[in-house]
Amino acid sequence: MTVQAISAPMRVSRPRNRLRLEHFVMGGAVLALIVLVVLPLGFLLWGSLRGEGGLSFQHFEEVATGRLYVTALKNSLILGAWTGLFSMIIGLALAWAVSRTNVPGKALIQITASLSYLSPPFLTAIAFVYLYSPNAGLLNVLFRDVLGLPWLTFNVFSMTGLVLVTVLHTFPFVYLLASSALLSVDASYEEAAQILGASKLRTAFSVTAPLVAPAILSGTLLSFVNAIALFGSQAIIGLPGRIVTLPTRIYALFDYPPEYGLASALSLLFVIITVAALYLQRAFLARRSYVTLGGKGARPQLMDLGPARWLVLGFVILTFIVAIILPYSTLIAVSFSKSWGLDFWKGLTLANYKFILFEYNVTQRAILNSLGLATVAATIAVLLGAVIGWIDLRTRIPGRKLLDYFALIPLGLPGIVVAVALIQFWLSMPLALYGTLTILLLAYVGRYIPLGVRAANASIRQIDPSLEESAQILGASWMTTMREITLPLIRPGLFAGWLLVFVPVIQELSASILLFSSSSITLAVAVYNLYETGYIEPVAALAIVNMVIIGAAIFVANKLGGGRIASRSGAQGLAS
Amino acid sequence: MASITLKGLTKSFNAGDDAPAAVTDLDLDIKDNQFITLLGPSGCGKTTTLRMIAGYIVPDKGTIHVDGRQISAPGNVVPPDQRGMGMVFQNYAVWPHKTVYENVVFGLKLRKLPSAQMKKKMEETLALVNLTGLEARYPNELSGGQQQRVALARSLVVEPGILLLDEPLSNLDAKLREQMRVELKRLQRRTGITFVYVTHDQAEALALSDQIAVIHGGRLQQYGTPQEVYARPANRVVADFMGLVNLVPAKVVSVNGRTGTVAAAGDLKIDLAVPDGTKSGDNVEVSIRPENIRLSTTANGSSTRAKISERTFLGNISEYYATLDSGQTLRVQTHPGQVFAVGDTVAVEIDSTQCSVFRNPASAAAHS
Repeated sequence: MTVQAISAPMRVSRPRNRLRLEHFVMGGAVLALIVLVVLPLGFLLWGSLRGEGGLSFQHFEEVATGRLYVTALKNSLILGAWTGLFSMIIGLALAWAVSRTNVPGKALIQITASLSYLSPPFLTAIAFVYLYSPNAGLLNVLFRDVLGLPWLTFNVFSMTGLVLVTVLHTFPFVYLLASSALLSVDASYEEAAQILGASKLRTAFSVTAPLVAPAILSGTLLSFVNAIALFGSQAIIGLPGRIVTLPTRIYALFDYPPEYGLASALSLLFVIITVAALYLQRAFLARRSYVTLGGKGARPQLMDLGPARWLVLGFVILTFIVAIILPYSTLIAVSFSKSWGLDFWKGLTLANYKFILFEYNVTQRAILNSLGLATVAATIAVLLGAVIGWIDLRTRIPGRKLLDYFALIPLGLPGIVVAVALIQFWLSMPLALYGTLTILLLAYVGRYIPLGVRAANASIRQIDPSLEESAQILGASWMTTMREITLPLIRPGLFAGWLLVFVPVIQELSASILLFSSSSITLAVAVYNLYETGYIEPVAALAIVNMVIIGAAIFVANKLGGGRIASRSGAQGLAS
Repeated sequence: MASITLKGLTKSFNAGDDAPAAVTDLDLDIKDNQFITLLGPSGCGKTTTLRMIAGYIVPDKGTIHVDGRQISAPGNVVPPDQRGMGMVFQNYAVWPHKTVYENVVFGLKLRKLPSAQMKKKMEETLALVNLTGLEARYPNELSGGQQQRVALARSLVVEPGILLLDEPLSNLDAKLREQMRVELKRLQRRTGITFVYVTHDQAEALALSDQIAVIHGGRLQQYGTPQEVYARPANRVVADFMGLVNLVPAKVVSVNGRTGTVAAAGDLKIDLAVPDGTKSGDNVEVSIRPENIRLSTTANGSSTRAKISERTFLGNISEYYATLDSGQTLRVQTHPGQVFAVGDTVAVEIDSTQCSVFRNPASAAAHS
């Protein structure tokens, strides 16, 4: 090979410490995080402290002493506690069945957990109202009036009903964390106990349980945090039953005249609870690390349940029916009936769909808004996440850890709190964003940025820095390296993160309910509003349309996101 | 192709698990068209030095010049993408989402070469590293050795003046490593590119290098040809690191100009060159390589008595531990045909021309 001087991107004469493009991109990401998270929270605090004559704790005093607020707080805590407990029982039972026993139908357990997690809790709530509202609920009518078994009736507008509906959405948190922990406990730990003479039961309690306890507790706390933040089910089930909780109380404060100060103070109280719970959760999860010490080698031993496995299977099927079949078949049935009642099957009709799709002028706008917002919000969240993750892992910029923390804060922010903070912030700005699609977008991106950061962080960690460095030394600028090397390599992870944001955004209600206007209405809000105005059958049709769109969007996104990379991510170059 | 001058290069890091090793006040003059090796144990700062040359790490102090042009000085650092160097990484860093062709052509595309020239370069380079025919493969369809060649081709195709190699052979199996060693040496000769090679493997360094820079504790210990570094280590650290060595405590018996006589381990008299300023009566250490010790059954004037305390047959050589009367044990390597049994009494003779003396031994403890 003859050597000529083609290798000359060495431009020594150029100024070297000038700002390069990457500085603008990184600066932009930091700025975005400040606008999305830091400033709204600052204004929330400011708003809660701003009284008649300057700064005061008057709003906090009112929140701490007012009967309405104390009751709301108490109800939220009761709801969270019961939901956490039952999520733990159901989630742990299913996780244990899947990972440690020979129960048949393990696929069904997986499906139940995934679908329960994916389905919007306010739709489940509406379905249960159709079945169990005290007077007109179909099953109540059936048991009381037809079968003459009044003791089998159930009033869904109660704390019990609220817990039931909420648990159906939150038990997957425990299930997912517990099953992965149970699967990663190396069988040799248990075998070591058994060879020393410990019985199976003794082994389970003295070896397995302590190893997976942090994961279970962590899942339980996640259930708690998510449960108390759900506005939809608490409004649909709680309000008719006069069970006011923190989100519904905050919502009510925005009735005319809006009480911004009180709402801010109550929101901060709310945040303190969720942040404390999440702090505990992270502390528990941090202790989980020893579970994976054993490496991938040994598989856990499966317990032969004998005939009892049919009992466990029965429990699984029951969960599947209550969480999935019952609510969705109810919604489908209602959506096709002329009038919902015991003999609904006598008057099946498509009129509800016709009304929803073609006559009700909100639907189409809501569908477009929701799809557009979810797509854009998910894209921005993962791209911002990628830049923030990159700054954290690949640079030595001082304060990068702080950036990472700020990006995780919204995990502890219930949707309605995000909305209150955004309102406080943007009402003080000279920009009229209230009621626009933009403020909804800001709410979604701000609330779900942690998911984007986590996904990006995990993917960038998988990529050895040398893959980027080798492009750099060949003369590639930061932008080229990002475009050619980093982004293609983290694409599968970013895509997973994208879906993780897209799914909750397209069914978001808690923040949207305070921020929407008739032009920026979203699907979830449309369903809720229609329900509030008392339409029974069309609501079900809209709910089904909503579900179909969510399902289709997830399906399409999954198809598009596959790609060649996923199958290659095992290449040796990624290792080390 | 290019010379490199490091002056007073210094870098320290905040302590942490993954913090790179520090480098202190490193001077190094790398001549044009040389194969030089930065050699030292892990954590000695050799990789930090290499990454400062590449530009990934910004030095706290000191300067780097290439061909007399300054590329790094405090507050004035050319970023890696404008240094025009090549680098081969320990894990190859072959991009898993690009084919062999896409990997190698990357640098040429950045340089916007005309396509005819680009094609020619690609063909030449792929042939140079024996990759012709594998252009369409993805890295996960290649063996470790082939991935290594892709990494080499990717760096060589842009014809850099300097190629930096960070332990490029450490992930290969022994046989392939040997083969690649020969190829690397040949490539360097053919291209005339200055190779800066980082390794902790002294055998590799000896086999490949024109010059070896031995680094320890972030400081340059010695810079010289493989022969110099091996036979004339500058200090006990270098002696200890460059292969097996017996470091034996000794006392200077007499000094006569630049040579002197020492009594090692009590009764082993050796005549050899001594450092300037050595005085009679000084406590010193003598480094004796195992292959420079002869064992025989018959004593002669300069030999000392020892007892065989252990023996290991290693195929091409035999290794013995011979314990002197003073209790000092020497590690000895002999031709495998020479057989002694444990417990045999033997005569030990040392080739004094191959020994070195170090002053101020850190401790008097025997270092066998």
